[in-house]
Amino acid sequence: MPVKRIQPMKLQARRHYVELMFQVMGRALQALSEVDETTREEMRALPEGFLFELQVMPNGPTLVIEHTGAGKMRFHGNRPPRKVDLSIQFKHMAHAFLVLSFQEKTSVAFANDRLLVDGDISYAIRITRVLNRLEAFILPKVVARRAVKEYPADLRLPEKLMSAMRIYLRVATHSVETARA
Amino acid sequence: MTNKYYEFFCPVKVIAGKAALEHIPFELTGLAAKRPMIITDKGVRAAGLLETVIAACEDSGLEIVTIYDDVPPDSSTTVVSTIAEVYNKEKCDSIIAIGGGSAIDTGKAVNILVSEGGTDLSRFSGAGILKRPLKPFFVIPTTAGTGSEVTSVAVISDEKKGVKLPFTSSFLLPNAAIIDPRMTLTLPPHITAATAMDAMTHAIEAFTCLAKNPLSDAYATSAIKKISQNLLTVMNNPKDEHGRLELAQASAMAGIAFSNSMVGLVHALGHATGAICHLPHGLCMSLYLPYVLEFNLESIREPLSELLLYLEGPEVYSATPASRRAEASISAIRKLRDALHKHCELPRTLKETGKVLETQLEAIARQALDDGCMMFNPREVTFDHAIGVLRRAWS
Repeated sequence: MPVKRIQPMKLQARRHYVELMFQVMGRALQALSEVDETTREEMRALPEGFLFELQVMPNGPTLVIEHTGAGKMRFHGNRPPRKVDLSIQFKHMAHAFLVLSFQEKTSVAFANDRLLVDGDISYAIRITRVLNRLEAFILPKVVARRAVKEYPADLRLPEKLMSAMRIYLRVATHSVETARA
Repeated sequence: MTNKYYEFFCPVKVIAGKAALEHIPFELTGLAAKRPMIITDKGVRAAGLLETVIAACEDSGLEIVTIYDDVPPDSSTTVVSTIAEVYNKEKCDSIIAIGGGSAIDTGKAVNILVSEGGTDLSRFSGAGILKRPLKPFFVIPTTAGTGSEVTSVAVISDEKKGVKLPFTSSFLLPNAAIIDPRMTLTLPPHITAATAMDAMTHAIEAFTCLAKNPLSDAYATSAIKKISQNLLTVMNNPKDEHGRLELAQASAMAGIAFSNSMVGLVHALGHATGAICHLPHGLCMSLYLPYVLEFNLESIREPLSELLLYLEGPEVYSATPASRRAEASISAIRKLRDALHKHCELPRTLKETGKVLETQLEAIARQALDDGCMMFNPREVTFDHAIGVLRRAWS
């Protein structure tokens, strides 16, 4: 009997973890576009108002981001204000957990057919580069190496620490503002 | 516990070898098809290849209802709609595509329209849109390189919107791929060389990129061995039926391998070069392959070392120290490329093509970075990396 009870709890915990990570990532992406010029350069190639989502199939946790122009991103929570232009979907919660707990790199998840892309693949590639950059900034190097294909050789510790601090500060501020609202 | 995972799928019946074409009537009957339409291009007709197919069918009392032989090298939605109209008007019930990548992709797209109905092909663009099997569809490749006869992808230009529409679905896979050595016997030397190097690249990237798996590895290594052993023999003796069949089989095997494990930077650069400079795809593959392998070397040393066995044979493999095998594999590919240059002046550098300007390299690098294949390359590629590879390939 205890095993039967523990199993749903484990699945619940996994779901909560993925939801939490999506919340953190969404806010962190918005912050990253405010502090990092390379990210803004990547995002400028996307049309203004471009909406994309990361989602767990079917109808699982969702992260919605809009390119508001000039390379800046806005986190829309888990509900898109209109039909998204690009959807990157994990086939199952277990697959999302593998990636978000850094057991499987994003590129490997794509190679392992864990993800589906509905929309322009070239934009998906660009957004994956931005996600990799975010992970390289905000995760300790030893963890980031497990998350990205190749840790950027030109990312020095002072730049990483400064950027990470600014991103985390903005994530915290944004979270507090959301809670107040 | 291992994190390894893979998927592998290829339901295409491969009908290969001597008198393979003569199996078409029986195979069509097995799918309850009696009124096939042939889709092909002017080159195939001019080479006299259609007659062989028609004779093989008519000998068994199977009438080819209609033939569309005007597929352009870069097929469009207009062409697809025109062919679909003919198909419906003539009450056909199956499609036989004969040719290279364009004729085969056109056949796949026509099959969507005639099976799903309507005239707007763009409705079906994207991945996984098709939800049910299409009409019986056979493919007879006349080049040994693209592997389109075993892939679930088609790309068609939308002239009005000025974009290329990709279609991906397992339902696009042909029911059968007919590989008959008679169909590639007349292939000119430079096309034989470029398409074979396309197949070689499919196999090598399938074996060295991120989505490699045990089943695609088996197909990839067999394809590499067949190409290495037969390409120069066929270049010396174009009428060598055995060699032609080996190359055609290698192309299908490489197609099965890469459609299940994807490709990487060579293809990303090739797609961009094709789009910007209109350089033939096979030629791009031949040009970039050694330079990309050098770039990826430290990430792929182990599989690349293994490939020496299939590229050069057991004697060279065993005589080469394990630590030098990866470099020896690259040398073997360079040697093959140089031999092809000697045979038919297949360009070895971008400069030699005469169609690429040095000022276009940056645009090629930028476009390549956003190519879908980039995801599967074993190394992360930045703009500086891509431009570095292009400069080495320049001259």
